[in-house]
Amino acid sequence: MLEVNNIDVYHGDLQALWGVSLTLQEGEMVALIGSNGAGKSTIVETISGLLTPATGSVIFNSICLEKEPAHRVVQLGVCLVPEERQLFPSMTILENLELGAFAPESRKVKDETLKFVYELFPILEARSSQAAGTLSGGEQQMLAIGRGLMSKPKLLMLDEPSLGLGPLVVKAIFEVIQQINRSGVGILLVEQNVRVALGLANRGYIVENGRIAGHGDAKSLLDDKHVKEAYLGIS
Amino acid sequence: MVELFAQSFVNGIMIGALYGLAAIGLSLIFGVMRILNIAHGEFLMLGGYAAFWMFTLNNIDPFLGLPLVAIALFLLGAGVYKVLFSHAARLPGELKMNTSLLIAFGLSLIFPQLATAAWTGDERAITPVYSGTSFELLGVRFGYVPLAGLLVALAVTFGLRFFLSKTYFGKSVRGTTENWKAARLMGINVDRTYLLTFALGAALAGVAGILVGLTQVVMPPIGMHWTLKALIVIVLAGMGSIGGTLVAGLIIGVVEAVSHIFIGPYAIVVGLVIFLLIMMFRPQGLFGKA
Amino acid sequence: MAHNWKKLSLIGGIIVLVALVPVMTRRTDILTWFTLILIYVTLSQSWNIIGGYTGQINLGHVAFFGLGALTTRYLWLLFGLPLPVALLAGAVVAPLVALIIGVPAFRLRGIYFIIVTLVFAEILRHVAYTAIPVASVLPAELLTTYSLVPRYYLSLTVAVVAVAVVYVVSNSRLGLGMMAVREDEDAARTSGVSILRCKLSAFLISTALAGLAGGVFAYYYVGAYAGYLFEPVWTFDSVLIVFVGGAGTIIGPIIGSVFFVFLQQWLATILPGGFHLVVFGIIFILVVLFWPSGIVGGVVELRRRRRR
Repeated sequence: MLEVNNIDVYHGDLQALWGVSLTLQEGEMVALIGSNGAGKSTIVETISGLLTPATGSVIFNSICLEKEPAHRVVQLGVCLVPEERQLFPSMTILENLELGAFAPESRKVKDETLKFVYELFPILEARSSQAAGTLSGGEQQMLAIGRGLMSKPKLLMLDEPSLGLGPLVVKAIFEVIQQINRSGVGILLVEQNVRVALGLANRGYIVENGRIAGHGDAKSLLDDKHVKEAYLGIS
Repeated sequence: MVELFAQSFVNGIMIGALYGLAAIGLSLIFGVMRILNIAHGEFLMLGGYAAFWMFTLNNIDPFLGLPLVAIALFLLGAGVYKVLFSHAARLPGELKMNTSLLIAFGLSLIFPQLATAAWTGDERAITPVYSGTSFELLGVRFGYVPLAGLLVALAVTFGLRFFLSKTYFGKSVRGTTENWKAARLMGINVDRTYLLTFALGAALAGVAGILVGLTQVVMPPIGMHWTLKALIVIVLAGMGSIGGTLVAGLIIGVVEAVSHIFIGPYAIVVGLVIFLLIMMFRPQGLFGKA
Repeated sequence: MAHNWKKLSLIGGIIVLVALVPVMTRRTDILTWFTLILIYVTLSQSWNIIGGYTGQINLGHVAFFGLGALTTRYLWLLFGLPLPVALLAGAVVAPLVALIIGVPAFRLRGIYFIIVTLVFAEILRHVAYTAIPVASVLPAELLTTYSLVPRYYLSLTVAVVAVAVVYVVSNSRLGLGMMAVREDEDAARTSGVSILRCKLSAFLISTALAGLAGGVFAYYYVGAYAGYLFEPVWTFDSVLIVFVGGAGTIIGPIIGSVFFVFLQQWLATILPGGFHLVVFGIIFILVVLFWPSGIVGGVVELRRRRRR
């Protein structure tokens, strides 16, 4: 479904990614793991169209994404839930969700999708007229994911969904993420919490210093010596 | 003396409504895309001329022709944005502000010259049959046309608020204002949103221009004069507060009109004083967030 | 070391040459052009300090030019003070006023400065036209003895001072702070630069020079309305010169002034009325959009490419 081929990406004059390649099959959950600043966010931002690669290509369902602007990428079925949520703080939960369905195709089925999102996150329905800026961290994350779902994505990318959240909330959120994956939506998960990420995902890629340092099946990565030392604190 | 005050107060409300109307487009553009369009008054001037010529050449009543003027200025605004500002709009913070400011500054010098070349520097006033008519209430004279101007200002203010809070596109404008990066991730075409917002701002300026033509005069140099009035209004209201713009305009109108009693033609200084006071004691304006 | 002597003698040579012009010719048009160029050099350099080096776009710059001009004119003509005193007064009044609006403005975000200077200039213009509706004309005795030569040398001296000030400031710690503020205010703040002090100092120096330029112009012009001294076109001309020449450079405004005055004189002969403003406006917008580093920037880029 998704093919990233050898992309080089620059932030201004500084190179951030070197020859990054990855794939994601339909319905898969793939984890991108690596430490802070390794380039994981840059990868998903490039796929989502916020950044343009200098070389290489991003192909989604046979369509080249790398030249498309971000709003077109969403319409094509790839949605990014960005790091730190990036909500519209003075707008209500409902308004945030509604805007998630802005793209014409998703707008048609907006009400249906909204019901689905409310089923996943009942607390959003309860607080639907509350301003997004007044929500707790966990609620904001739920809203951010819900907003992403409103665009009816075939591939949902999540950048650090567990950031700044307590363990119980994190557990709840990851359960929902699994549910979403089971409903047929592909998931590309950027996570610092390696154990949880690899526990859920089918496969994983290790990102180090802007390069892919390794990849494989999630279970074998968990057993991998380097992964254990570098990211799981086991030596 | 009381009559003088009361009349000045009413006059102040009427002209203040115009100030608010003139400022609302500027506030919208600045609020959404952080571009301070100091050529805003030029769009007002052109709107005034458009209404004047429509009336003088084709006998179209300025109020009936209002939609036409709005559309014309909308298209002009869209063109100006696309050619001149769309590149600057993608620059980061300070650079965007400075670049767009300079471009608008250039426009504020070009447009009056073009207008002079096209229509001479003569004062133009739109004078349909009903202009100058008024009624008296409790010893105070109310002009029908200025009253209509007040109604237009109210209609525009409420219309804009409705548009922004109830329509889908309006909500996308608000979203883009709050977080344009996130807006892009929802499938909102931010470039197009900016274009339409700028065009809308220009159209609103044009509408204000019609009222200026009806209640005062239209001449090539009035652009900067109105831009500055609008700037004072939006600072008093609080930058980005669209609802507060009309109120701020009314306040300035009244304060100026009443000051006129005491300091005559120097009443214009009042605006500067208000501005300085706001800067020193309440920079977020009356309705802005701190 | 040798490089510096070469540069210094080159500059000295140019100044001497320019100083010799009135000796070589008495043609009023040539002397007028040079005098105007030199006045514009001072005025544009003054804007260069606040706009080019510190990145604060002052669109009400004419207010300080006008204040200096008005002060000098009245002290000189009405109160009979000697010209140097009147000039000095003009160069002091402008920054004093600048202080009043600068202190509250610079404590806030940049946009407040932009708006307040614009508003202030416009109101001053309006007040000038209203309060002084009669044009100020040189009295008969001064009219008959009017000679461009002292005006020429005054504007040359002031221009040299202005360029020297820009040179000294740009190479000083203040200059470093100003440029840091221009590039990235937040980064400058965390590096310990006092943003308020930097901006305010730049503003005061800028307005003092503008007031001085105004004073020279006050000595130069025969007759004009007070309001004319506050017309926004003065601001526009300065900003145009700085950008076309090269903002934030020392030579930029000098080159820009020469280019500007000659183009202006030429356009005035072929275009009606104030239409040359349209041409300048278009040039200005094009420069801002496509060539913001101006002529100097272009030359620097060419040199860089050739070195590679």
